[in-house]
Amino acid sequence: MTGPSDTSRGGAGRRRGLEAFAAAWAKALHRAHYVPIGADEREQIVSVLAGRLVAGLLADPADPALGHQIGVDLVAAGFGAPEALGRTVAIIDSRLLADASLPPSPATRARLTELLGAIATGFASAAHDRSLRDQDSVRLAALTAHLQAEEELRIKEARFRHFATHDPLTGLANLTLFTERLGRLFTTAQATDRVGVCCLDIDNFAAVNDVLGHQVGDQLLSEIAGRLKAIVTRPDDLVARLDSDRFAFLISHTTCAEDAVKIADLAQSTLDVPFYLAGTEVPVTASMGVAEGPVAAGRTATALIRSSEIALHWAKADGKAGTRLFDPDRSEADSARYRLSAALPAAIRRQEFTLVYQPVVDLQSGRLTGVEALARWRHPGLGLLGAERFIEIAERTGAIVGLGQQVLEQACRQAALWQQARPGLYVNVNVAVQQLQHPGLVGSVSQILDRTGLSADLLQLEITEQAVIDLTSDVVHTLSALMGVGVQIVIDDFGTGYSNLANLRALPLDGLKLDASLTRGVNREWRSPQTVATSANDDEFLTAVISLGHKLGLTVTAEGIEGQDHADRLRAAGCDYGQGWHFGKAVPANEISDRLVDKT
Amino acid sequence: MGRPDWAPGDIDVSRASVARAYDYWLGGSHNFEVDREFARQALAAVPDLRMVARANREFLRRAVRFMLDQGIHQFLDIGSGIPTVGNVHEVAQRVVPDARVVYVDIDPVAVTHSKQILTKNPYAAALREDLRHVDDILAHPDTRRLIDFDQPVGLLLVSVVHAIPDEDDPHELVKRLWTALAPNSYVAISHVTTDSRPEEMGEGARLSARTTTPVTARTRTRVEAFFNGLDLVEPGVVWSPLWRPESPADVGEHPERMSFYVGVGRRG
Repeated sequence: MTGPSDTSRGGAGRRRGLEAFAAAWAKALHRAHYVPIGADEREQIVSVLAGRLVAGLLADPADPALGHQIGVDLVAAGFGAPEALGRTVAIIDSRLLADASLPPSPATRARLTELLGAIATGFASAAHDRSLRDQDSVRLAALTAHLQAEEELRIKEARFRHFATHDPLTGLANLTLFTERLGRLFTTAQATDRVGVCCLDIDNFAAVNDVLGHQVGDQLLSEIAGRLKAIVTRPDDLVARLDSDRFAFLISHTTCAEDAVKIADLAQSTLDVPFYLAGTEVPVTASMGVAEGPVAAGRTATALIRSSEIALHWAKADGKAGTRLFDPDRSEADSARYRLSAALPAAIRRQEFTLVYQPVVDLQSGRLTGVEALARWRHPGLGLLGAERFIEIAERTGAIVGLGQQVLEQACRQAALWQQARPGLYVNVNVAVQQLQHPGLVGSVSQILDRTGLSADLLQLEITEQAVIDLTSDVVHTLSALMGVGVQIVIDDFGTGYSNLANLRALPLDGLKLDASLTRGVNREWRSPQTVATSANDDEFLTAVISLGHKLGLTVTAEGIEGQDHADRLRAAGCDYGQGWHFGKAVPANEISDRLVDKT
Repeated sequence: MGRPDWAPGDIDVSRASVARAYDYWLGGSHNFEVDREFARQALAAVPDLRMVARANREFLRRAVRFMLDQGIHQFLDIGSGIPTVGNVHEVAQRVVPDARVVYVDIDPVAVTHSKQILTKNPYAAALREDLRHVDDILAHPDTRRLIDFDQPVGLLLVSVVHAIPDEDDPHELVKRLWTALAPNSYVAISHVTTDSRPEEMGEGARLSARTTTPVTARTRTRVEAFFNGLDLVEPGVVWSPLWRPESPADVGEHPERMSFYVGVGRRG
């Protein structure tokens, strides 16, 4: 049909034709690609494919795999977009036969149709596979991203939680975590379970900061934390830093308080070993409070922590460097005292204090010569409270100054009233050290005497022997000034302290009041067997003390006289005055008035 | 710091991502139905949007080739999106085998996908960061590991700056980025505009409001302003097909319909 020359002529023509076909195909594929490819590269790809198209058409026997592969390779080369297939089919169908110089015979057209079918099938299956693969990869990416995000969130939450529940300096748990863990024990533990808390405070830690600096202070806290942490070995136990220099142990599953105290003992001994910081030895002591008890209904974690803190407070008050176990009775007494102390200032403002008076009697004549004024508190909730319930609190809080003034005023007013019935009846009023130290005392005593009209020599101020022991020049000055006003000064509770006899001689005093313990005789059990135990010895001793008072120019009053024998002995020993149940208890003013009318 | 890191909410595939829709327009399948739904609506508004996306991608390729010719061996590609075949590191590493590429994108799926592709490539990395956090991008350990800031860098901001609204001052952000680069660094920017097709492209931009990165189209003047302080490379800011085409066939008819202003500037 055709000779060699035809073939070569046809071959050259077909080559040129195919070049034109490839150029047109490449142009049609412009922007039909997924991948950015330059025009040159695009043409290079399709010209190879164009050659394979012709080979596919001419293959004998027909091989659908050839067309199929062309479709696959188009997708692989990046021409996977739908437009790429559409334009490819259009270009091949419209001009491949002509450009390739192939006769448009029905047989060739049929082969072309088959070829296009195979290309479309190959393209579609490759594009489908690619879609599925890409879907897999993007879903994997989304899943991975999601897991990573969750993991990061988890880490961040864990970090945040660690930050929120731990102390950044020492790395120990903080109060939040401590309370939470203890609280969890209370909600999950068996009814029979017990738990302990040991609260620990470094003694005088502020001094470390002051002397060695905050940096060393922080370093010390970190090292203390390290040692305390080493004590905690059981999984449910915990050590925490509550704040500044305060730590706490959670001691789980205790059987008794002793189990919790053991941890405190371990902590004490681990802190006994001195620390070495900044080239110097830093000894450390700690005060600890332990509270332990059953994890029972009605008990709470915060209450247990508070109990341990109260016990810690006791340890501090008892001189530090020790451990105290919480005791609910002591705590109740403490809080009752606290409630009274908090109520005192308002009680003074509302004048809830009243006076009772105990008779003082001349031991020779048996005649009532004076009274001692004693304060009582008409507490709105607790009823009438004796001085022992509130005077010490008032002294500690300083409320005694205001209270003392009210007492003085009332006592002087009452004594002035009694002068008509019994001229010369004196009144004794107790004065606390704080009042003596208060600069306004002399002035207010003078004003009260002026206001009430009581003669100064009928007011006897009783100061405790303790006040004389702690004598300061201010107090001496105040006593002299009071004496200048004409007021009498007597020493109360004589014999309970260790008075400096030189003070007794030097001070402007008017009298001594012998404490009951001195006048009742010595307890026999205390006597040594060698000593002959007779009451004669006691009497000689009393006589000597009373005569010492008289030699110093002081009147001597005996307190706590409970019977006639007692009164007789004191009189025999030379004592001037006496008071006690034998002569009358402390009573309201009107009962004293009745006695004055009865002339007893 | 102070800014939240990834939260699972970020990977919410119930919200369309322009990065994944862009992959769909190019003809890719790295997308989810929610992305395709948005992509098809955008196609309804802009029927030749696929061509617009491909023309933009062709610019990226030509810009990288241009920078390689200028001796740039390290690239910072911000807004890199879903990685496809023919990505920057493939184009660059075919010429310079150890060319460095750092991909940055805000979309966690795009970044994770990039990381999957790059696991065996020691010279390329992908990191998740917001274009607005310039300092964090520059200080990221992967950025520091791969890019030598004493040497020129090719900064690629292709189809990303229009994701920054005016209130975040995109001009200042772009300037902060290139001022961190060595002299003779190059900056390529492509940016959506409604200048040539206000209605169609305007509708496309409006549709993007419900994606994770809504689009702010800008005028030629505003796009040119991104190159203030840089030496604008010829032919300046032009329609995407007109920037240094490799052959007339690459330009196609009506280049203005491709609706992207593109340009390359050099840091003097």
